[in-house]
Amino acid sequence: MRLPKFNYLGPKTLDEALDLLDTYKDDAKILAGGTDLLVRMKKGLLKPKVLISLKALNELSYIKKQSGFIKIGARTPLADIIDSDLIQKEAKALFQACKKIGAISIQHFRGTIGGNILQDNRCHHYNQSDFHRSGRQACHKDGGKICYAREEADRCNSTCQSDGATALMALGADITLVSKSNERTIDLADFYTTDGIMPHACESNELLKEIIIPVFGAHSSYQRLAYRSAIDYPIVCAGVLLKPSLKNEIAEARIVVGAMGRSPLFLAQISSSLKGKKLNDTIAFKKAADASMDSSATFAVHNVGATLEYRCSMVSQMVFQALEQTAETIKA
Amino acid sequence: MEKIQITLNINDKSCEVMVYENDTLLEVLRDKLDLTGSKESCGEGACGSCTVHMDGKPVRSCLTLAMEAQGVKITTVEGLANGDELSDLQQSFIDHGAVQCGFCTPGMLMSADALLKENPRPDDKTIRKALAGNICRCTGYTKIVEAVAHAGNPKDHCLDCKSAK
Amino acid sequence: MSNLNPDTNREFDVIGKRIPKLDAAQKAMGRAEYIQDIKLPGMLFGKILYCKYAHASIVKIDTSKARALAGVHAVLTGQDVPKKMKMGFYKDNPPIKKGKVCSFRDEVAAVAAISPEIAKKALDLIEIEYEELPGIFDPEKAMEKDSPLVHEYHKSNVLKLPWKLHYGDVEKAEKESDFVVEEKFTTQWVTHCCLGTSGAIALFDSNDNLTIHTNTQIPSLAQKDFLESLKAMGLENKRVRVIKPIIGGGFGSKLDTYAYEHIAILLAYACRKPVKIMFDRVEEFKATSTRQPTVIYIKQGCDKNGKLTFRDMRMILDNGAYTSWGATTPSVMMMPITSLYRVDNVKYNAKCVYTNNTYSQAMRGYGNPQATFAIESTLDMLAQKAGIDRVEIRRLNRNQPGDVTPQGFKISSCGLSECIDEVEKELTIDGPKEKGIGTGIASLIHVGGGARIYKSDGCGAILKMDDYGKVDIFTGGTDMGQGLDNITAQIVAEELGLFVEDINVVHSDTDVCPWDVGAHASRSTFVAGNAALGAAKKVKETILEYGSKLLDADPKNLVLKDRTIFVLDDPEKSMPIDKLLRKAHFSPQGKMLMADFFYDPDNENMGKEFKGNMSVTYAFGAHGVKVKVDEETGKVKVLDYVAAHDVGRAINPLLLEGQVYGGVVMGLGYALTEEVVTKDGQNMNANFRDYKLFTAKDAIRIKAPVVETYDEYGPFGAKGIGEPGCVPTAPAIANAIYDAVGVRIFDLPITPEKVLAALKEKKSATTKI
Repeated sequence: MRLPKFNYLGPKTLDEALDLLDTYKDDAKILAGGTDLLVRMKKGLLKPKVLISLKALNELSYIKKQSGFIKIGARTPLADIIDSDLIQKEAKALFQACKKIGAISIQHFRGTIGGNILQDNRCHHYNQSDFHRSGRQACHKDGGKICYAREEADRCNSTCQSDGATALMALGADITLVSKSNERTIDLADFYTTDGIMPHACESNELLKEIIIPVFGAHSSYQRLAYRSAIDYPIVCAGVLLKPSLKNEIAEARIVVGAMGRSPLFLAQISSSLKGKKLNDTIAFKKAADASMDSSATFAVHNVGATLEYRCSMVSQMVFQALEQTAETIKA
Repeated sequence: MEKIQITLNINDKSCEVMVYENDTLLEVLRDKLDLTGSKESCGEGACGSCTVHMDGKPVRSCLTLAMEAQGVKITTVEGLANGDELSDLQQSFIDHGAVQCGFCTPGMLMSADALLKENPRPDDKTIRKALAGNICRCTGYTKIVEAVAHAGNPKDHCLDCKSAK
Repeated sequence: MSNLNPDTNREFDVIGKRIPKLDAAQKAMGRAEYIQDIKLPGMLFGKILYCKYAHASIVKIDTSKARALAGVHAVLTGQDVPKKMKMGFYKDNPPIKKGKVCSFRDEVAAVAAISPEIAKKALDLIEIEYEELPGIFDPEKAMEKDSPLVHEYHKSNVLKLPWKLHYGDVEKAEKESDFVVEEKFTTQWVTHCCLGTSGAIALFDSNDNLTIHTNTQIPSLAQKDFLESLKAMGLENKRVRVIKPIIGGGFGSKLDTYAYEHIAILLAYACRKPVKIMFDRVEEFKATSTRQPTVIYIKQGCDKNGKLTFRDMRMILDNGAYTSWGATTPSVMMMPITSLYRVDNVKYNAKCVYTNNTYSQAMRGYGNPQATFAIESTLDMLAQKAGIDRVEIRRLNRNQPGDVTPQGFKISSCGLSECIDEVEKELTIDGPKEKGIGTGIASLIHVGGGARIYKSDGCGAILKMDDYGKVDIFTGGTDMGQGLDNITAQIVAEELGLFVEDINVVHSDTDVCPWDVGAHASRSTFVAGNAALGAAKKVKETILEYGSKLLDADPKNLVLKDRTIFVLDDPEKSMPIDKLLRKAHFSPQGKMLMADFFYDPDNENMGKEFKGNMSVTYAFGAHGVKVKVDEETGKVKVLDYVAAHDVGRAINPLLLEGQVYGGVVMGLGYALTEEVVTKDGQNMNANFRDYKLFTAKDAIRIKAPVVETYDEYGPFGAKGIGEPGCVPTAPAIANAIYDAVGVRIFDLPITPEKVLAALKEKKSATTKI
C-alpha cells in the first residue's frame, strides 16, 4: 500500500518544529511513531501536505519525577514506560495500558505515548480502505452527512479506543500543549472534545509536549477486553484510581470507561459515590460498576466489532475488576 | 515531487538511494535495493512480515518512512547470515521445522533475533509475547517457539537441535 | 490394485526421519522468490476495478480519461472479454462483468500501466454509471419464490446440483431409535489468509504462446483453464506454460483460477508485454474466496446402548454470486456424514443457493469441518441423553479396518481407536471438575489416499540420474510450504539408497513437470509420493540390472544404500552408484538412467447415488481439548490441546507435526475468533487488525501424537495429513465449553458474547424453574 504524497520535514529542535507547525497549521501532521498516522494515510483517511517529524527531538522523550508529579515527554516510546519502575509503582494503570498496546515490536521506538493518546477515533464503517469508502456516500467523519453506525445520527459516533487515554484520565493526568507563541497545561479530560470528527481540543499550531501525572498516594488499575491478546484494540476498557484515607476508606475515586464513546468517559458522580466506602465493600464496587455500565451505554454505538449489548455488559465487568484490583493493591 | 538522495546503513553497508518522501523503508528495500527478503503482507503494521531492525530493535518497515531510516543501523533478514553461514537462529528455524511457506519467516526471525539479543534464554511465555506482533498462518507457532527457545542454546537440546543429532 | 509397498517392517535410512524442509534455508535467508519478488523486463502493472454495489446494472462505462492517461497501455471492460471466457466449474463467472454486477467483488474494468501508481490513477478515472438492484444476502430467503434472482438466466437461485443421498431407511431407523437429537447449526465465512497475497505475471511470445507465473495449487488444471481462455480469445492450438513460484501459503485458496489471472492474460495479450497483477491485503480479503458458510439441520439417533441408528442432515450453502469449488463441497461433506462412525441409515441433502455475497472456494478440509461440527456436537448431546460416556459412545461406534461404509468407502486401515487412546493418555477427558474448566473430544474421518473428484486423480513423475549419482525428479505435485518437496526427495532417496541432498525436486513448471490434478484433498504425499516411488522403482530395477552385470551377482541379492550398490551376502563386493551410472553411460550403446511413472490411484468416482470408494484409504483422528471459560466475560481460553492422527506412516514427522499444529490453530480460529464479517454483501473486516487470526500469544503448544497404521497402499504406508488437523477442532471446543459451563453454542465462531448470552439464558431458565 502506497502512502499519498507529502513533504517530509525533519526539524532539529522543538522551536523549529513549532515554527513549521505555525507555518503549515492544518496542512501539517505531526509524525511520531507513525503506527496510527501512516495507517490512516495509507487508507486515504488523511492527506496532509506536510509531515513534521519528531524524530530528532529527543528532548521530548523522558520520564521523570518532579515535585510530586511524574512527567512524561510526549515522544517517549511505550517500551520505556513499560520498563519504568516509577510508572509501574506510581502509575500502574498506565503501565498496564501500555503493555496491551499493539505488540512488543510496536511498543518500542515506533509506538509513543503521545501518539497513543492522540490516536484518532475509530469506527468499522470509517476505518476502511479507500475503495470501500468510495463505493458509498461519505460519513460524517469522512466529510459527509450520514452515520453508518447509528441511523439518522446527526453527528459522528466514532469511538476512542486509546488504552493510554483511559488510563491517564483515570490517573487524573494533565497535558501540556505548546505552540510558537503559547504553552498551556490542561486537564486531559478537557482535551477530549466528545466530537467524533475532531476528538482532540488541539489547535492546529499546537503540539503535545508533556504528560503530567500527579502522585498523591493513590493506586490505580487498568482493565481491558479484546478478542486477541495482541494487535488488537480494546472493545471495552476501564481505568480506576482509588486513594485510601488513613482509616483505609476511599478518600478519592476516579472511574474512567474507554472504548465506549467518542472520548474516554470520566464518570464523576459515580466516582464520588465511592467516597467514604470501605476498601472491601464489594457491594459498593458492584453498584458503581453497574452504574458505570448504565452511564456509558448511552454513548456507545455498534462500531468496533463486538455487539453493543455485550460491550455494555462488559463495562460493568471491567470497572468492577479494576476496582477490585486497585483495592487489592492498596490492601497489599 | 522531487526525489531526494539519502544514505541508509543497511546490513553494515552504506547505500545511497534516491527516494520520494512518501516511500516507506519497505518499498525502498524491496523495489530500489532488491532486498526482497522483507515482505509486505498487510501493509498496515498488523502482521510483522516486514520487520527489520533499526539499531537492533524490531521495527515494521511498512510503517517507517525511508526518510526516517537515515542515521540508524538497519538490519534486514539478508543481514542475519554471515555470507552463506547461517546464524544460530536461522539454523534453529530450519532444524525445528519452523519454516513452512516461509512468507512470515523473515519478519519472525527479526523479531526473534532482537529478543535473543536482549534475553538469550527466554521462556515460552516471553517468546510468545515477543512474537505476538508477527502473524503466521502455517505453523500454529509451536515450532517457531521451539526454534527460538533452542537457538544457539547448548543446553536443553531437543530431538531437532542440529548439534544434538 | 497393485500393492506397491509391503515395507511395513523394513529399517529405513531416510523414511521416518525428521529432515528439515529442503527450501527452508533459502526462505530463512530471504532468498526465496515469491511472485511478489519477480520482475520481468518490460513488465507492466495491471490493476482491477471492482464494482461498488452488491447487485446493480451497469448503465454506462466511460474509460476515455483512463485511456488518455500517460503511461496507460490498456484499459479493458466486460466488452473486451470474449463471450466464452468464463471461470468456475459451473462456468458462470466471466473475468470482467458486463451488463450487470452481482457481488462487491465483481470486476468491471482492468488497466495495465507502466507503474502500479499510474494503473491505480487510471482506475480512478474510469466513470461508471450503475443502477442499483435489490440484493439478496440470506440463502434461505434467496430460496423463496418471490426472491430477486441473482442470475435471471438461471431462473432460480437454487443451483441445479444433485447433492442428495439416502442409504438404508432413515425414517424407520428414527422410529426405532431410543434417543434422538435434532438441532440446527450455522457456520460462518472464514478465509485462508495466506501471508503471501495473490499475484500473477502473464506474457506471450511472438507465436502467441502464453507463459504465466502464478500462485497456484493446480498447475495442470490451471493450464487447462488458461488454454480455454486462449481458445475463447481466438488463439487456438497455442501452448500454455504455467510456472509456479514459491507460494506464500495455499490452504485451498489456489485451487481454482481467479479472474485476476485471466485478466492478466487479456492485458498481456492486449499490450504484448508482460503484465503483473499483485493483490494487496484488502484485495486479498475481498477478491479471493472463502470457506462456504452453511446452515445445517441435523438429526441423529442411537439405541439404548448408544449404538448409532441413523443420521439425517440437510444443509443450505451460501454459494455467493458465482460458482467455484465451494458448491462442490457437499461431495466431501458426505464423507463424515455417511462414514464418521458406523451408522447404517443416512440421509443427506444440500442446496447451494446463489446470493449477492462473495463466492466460496476450497479451503482446508473442504466442507468436512462444517459437517463434523454438527455431527460431533450432536453426538455429545446424544451421549448425554442416552446416559452414556462421551468417550464410550465414540469407541462403541468407531470405524474399524475392513469396514465398508454405507457410501461404499472401504476402510483399509483405521487407527481411530488408537487415536482416542492417545487423546485419553494425554488429557483426562472425564476427570474431577474445576469450576469453568471443561474438556471436549471430537473425531474425524478424511480422505487419505487421494480423492477422485475429477476424471483422473493421477500424478506423474519423471526421474533422471546424472553421471554423479544425483537425481532430478520432475513431479506433477505442488509444494506450497507443506513439504511435498521433502516427501518426494525422501521417498526417492530411500528407494535408491541415496541421501536427500542428492535429490533435486522440480515441481514448478508445466513445461517440464508431468500432469497432476492438484495439491488438494490431502493427496500429495499419497499420490505424488506413489508416483515418485513408482519412478524410483523403475530406475532402481535398471541399476540392479547393471549392478548384477558389473558385480556378477543376482539382482535379487543386491541392495542400494549409502550411495553404493552392495552384494547382500558379500558386502566386500560393492560399487559406488555414481560409478555404476558412468559405466552405464560411457559404454557402447551407452545408457543414462531415467524413468517415468504415472500413478492414478485405484479409487472410484462416485456413482449415481454417490456411492463409490472415493479414496484408496482414509485418514482418522481424534482431538481432545481442555478449556477455561470465564463466566463473567464469556471468554474461552484453550488450556491444553491434543490432536492424535492416524497418518499411516510418518515419512517426515517434523513436517507432519507442522501440518497438524498449523491445522489445529487454523481450526481454533474457525472455532473461536475468525469470521469474515459482511454487511449487505460487503466485507467489513478486510484487514489483519479486524479479522482475528490467532497470534503466538493466543495459541498454545499443541500435542500431536502420531498413530501409524502402515496403510498397505500408501507410499511406505503413508496417508495424507494436510487437512485433518483443522477438521474436528470446532466441535472439540464446543463440547469442552459445554462440559465447562453447561452451555452449547450452535453458531460459529464461538465468540465471548455468544457464550455470555447463552450463560445468561441458562441462568434465567434455571431461576424460572
